[in-house]
Amino acid sequence: MSRVTLQGIRKSYGAVTVLKPIDLDIADGEFLVLLGPSGCGKSTTMRMIAGLEAITEGKLLFDGRDVTAAHPRDRNVAMVFQNYALYPHMTVADNIGYPLKVAKVAKAERQAQIEAAAKTVDLTPYLARFPRDLSGGQRQRVALARALVRSPGVFLLDEPLSNLDAKLRVAMRAEIKHLQRNLGVTMIYVTHDQIEAMTLADRVVLLSDGAIQQVGTPDEIYDDPANLFVAGFIGSPPMNFLAGQAKGGRFAAPGVDDLPCIGAGSLTLGFRAEDAALAEAGRFSGTVYEVEPTGESTYVVLQMGIHRVNLRCDKKFRPALGATLRFDVAGRQCLFFDSASGQRVR
Amino acid sequence: MKHGFLQARALNVLFWLAMSALTLLPVWWMFLVSVRTRADLFGNPSFLLDVSSMTWGNYAEVLANPTFQHYMTNSLIVATSNAVLVSVLALLAAYAMSRYALIGKDNIFFWVLTNRMAPPAVFLLPLFLMFTGFRFGDWSLFDTRIGLILLYCVFNLPFAFWLLQGIVDAIPKELDEAAYVDGASTFTVLTTVIFPLARPGLAVTGILTWVFAWNEYLFASTLTSVHARTITTGLAEFVTVTGTNWGQLAAVAMLTLAPAVLVLALVQRHIVAGLTFGAVKG
Repeated sequence: MSRVTLQGIRKSYGAVTVLKPIDLDIADGEFLVLLGPSGCGKSTTMRMIAGLEAITEGKLLFDGRDVTAAHPRDRNVAMVFQNYALYPHMTVADNIGYPLKVAKVAKAERQAQIEAAAKTVDLTPYLARFPRDLSGGQRQRVALARALVRSPGVFLLDEPLSNLDAKLRVAMRAEIKHLQRNLGVTMIYVTHDQIEAMTLADRVVLLSDGAIQQVGTPDEIYDDPANLFVAGFIGSPPMNFLAGQAKGGRFAAPGVDDLPCIGAGSLTLGFRAEDAALAEAGRFSGTVYEVEPTGESTYVVLQMGIHRVNLRCDKKFRPALGATLRFDVAGRQCLFFDSASGQRVR
Repeated sequence: MKHGFLQARALNVLFWLAMSALTLLPVWWMFLVSVRTRADLFGNPSFLLDVSSMTWGNYAEVLANPTFQHYMTNSLIVATSNAVLVSVLALLAAYAMSRYALIGKDNIFFWVLTNRMAPPAVFLLPLFLMFTGFRFGDWSLFDTRIGLILLYCVFNLPFAFWLLQGIVDAIPKELDEAAYVDGASTFTVLTTVIFPLARPGLAVTGILTWVFAWNEYLFASTLTSVHARTITTGLAEFVTVTGTNWGQLAAVAMLTLAPAVLVLALVQRHIVAGLTFGAVKG
C-alpha cells in the first residue's frame, strides 16, 4: 500500500500540452477514480503514475519517495489494461505468475501465490487454459489476479470494464469494489463512465481539457458541482440548465417566475430532474415536448423558451403533448453558475 | 450443382498435379542421373526408373570424398550462422523501429529496403577489393567463412527486417507495457514476450535466409577459393577439362537439395502462419 502524491505534474508533447499542472494527494488505501470524457488526460495521468509516460514537469511521490523518473519495474505498481494485455502464449497460471517469475520467486512459492490469487478471483479451474479459451469476464479476472499476485503498493486500472457487456460490467464492478475493500489497497481507476465512478470511488477526480475540474466524494460532485461542466457531466439525465439574467436578487428566464438568486448579470440556473416537483402554483412552467417512461419512473421533457428540461415524475404520469405544466424546485436545489466563466456562484 | 462442384474440383486437382510435375521434373531427372552408372547414363537415357540397374555408387563416392564433406560443412556453418545472426539482428532492429520514436524512422526503413533492390553483382568488384584489401597481418576476409557470413547478413538483413517489422508491429504494445509494469527489463520483455510471440515470423525469417545463404553462388564463387568454398560452388568442380562426371554431379546436387527440402518441409506450417501473421490478428 502506498500514498501517492502528484505535485504540479504536467504533460506535453512538443508544444501541445495535454495535461495542465495538477496536484493530487491520494491516501493510503483510497479508491480514487479519474473520470472524464475521451481526451481529457485521465489515461495519460495514470500512465505517468505507472511510469509508461515520461512526466514533462512536476514530481511524483510514492510514500514520500520521489519516483518521477523511476522505471515502471521500480515503482511497485500493478496495472490492469483496458484490453487486459494478457500474454497470449502463456497459460492463465503463467500469466498470473509472470511478475513473480520476473522477480525470480522460487517455483514452489510462486505456485502457492498463483493459486491464492486465482482463488481470490475464482479462477482456480481455469489455471491450465490459455487466454484465448476464456470469456471476456474471465480474462478480466486473470488481469486482476496478475495485478494482485505481487501485492503492489498501488493498483492502476485503466477502463477495465469497458470491453465487457452491460450485465457483466455491473457484476465485475461490485467484485472490484469488494476486492479493494477487503485488501485495503490504494486503487486508481480510470473511466469515462460516471456510474462506475460514482459507485466505486471514495473520491472522484473529474478531468476535462487536461485540467482537474473538481475533486470530491461522489456525493459532493453530484450535489455540489463546482462548475457547469461538472454539473452537466455527472447525472443521468444530466442537470437541467436555464440561461437567464439576474437583477436585484431575482432570476429571470423564459418559463421562470420570480426566483430569488445570488449574483448578478448573465447566470445559468441548474437543477436536477429528480428535484423538480409538479405543483399547481409552481414558479416554473413549460409545455410538454416528449414523455419518456422508463419503467421505474417517467421522464417528461418540457420546452421552456429555447431550453428543454427533464422532470422525473410518477411512473404512471402521462401528460398530453403540448400541455402546459407547472413545477417547482426547492431553493437549495437551485444552483447558479456564471454563464460566461461556467463557475458556480455561491 | 454438385456435378459442377466436382468438375471444378477435379480440374483444380489436375491443374496442380500438372504444375507439380512441371516443377519436380528437373529434380526427378537429376535423381535418375544420380542413380545410374556412367554407361547407363549415355547408353540408355530414359525418364523411367529401372530399379534393377539402380546404383548408389555415386552417392557413396561423393559422401566419402573429403572435399565434398568440407564444402558441405562450410555450407552448413555459413547458412546456419547467417540465419541465426540475421534473425536476431533483424528482430532487434524491428523491435526498435516498432517501439521507439526514432528520428527519420520512415527514411531509415526505406533506405534499408532500397539497399536490397540493387543487383548484387554490382557490388562484386568493390567487395572483392574490400575482402582482399583489408588485412590484419596475414588474415583477410577473403576465403573465410566469417567473411561469407557477414556478407550474407548484409544482403539478408533488409528482407528479414522488413518481414519482422510487420510481425513485431502486430504484437500489441500493451503487452510490453504490462511486462514492464510487472517488473520486466527490456531484455526480459524481448526474451519472454516478443520472442515467443514472433516465433512464427522468426521461423520464416530463419528458413528463408538460410535457404538464400545455402543457395548463394555468385559471392561464394568469387570471394572464396579453397577453405571457405561452399557446396554450390563445389558443384562446378565436377565439370573438368577431361569431362563432366554427371552421375556424381547429380548426386551432389541431390544432397545439396536435401537439407533445404527437409527444413522447408518441417517448418512449412510456420511459413504460412508467419507470412499471414500481421493479417490475421486475434
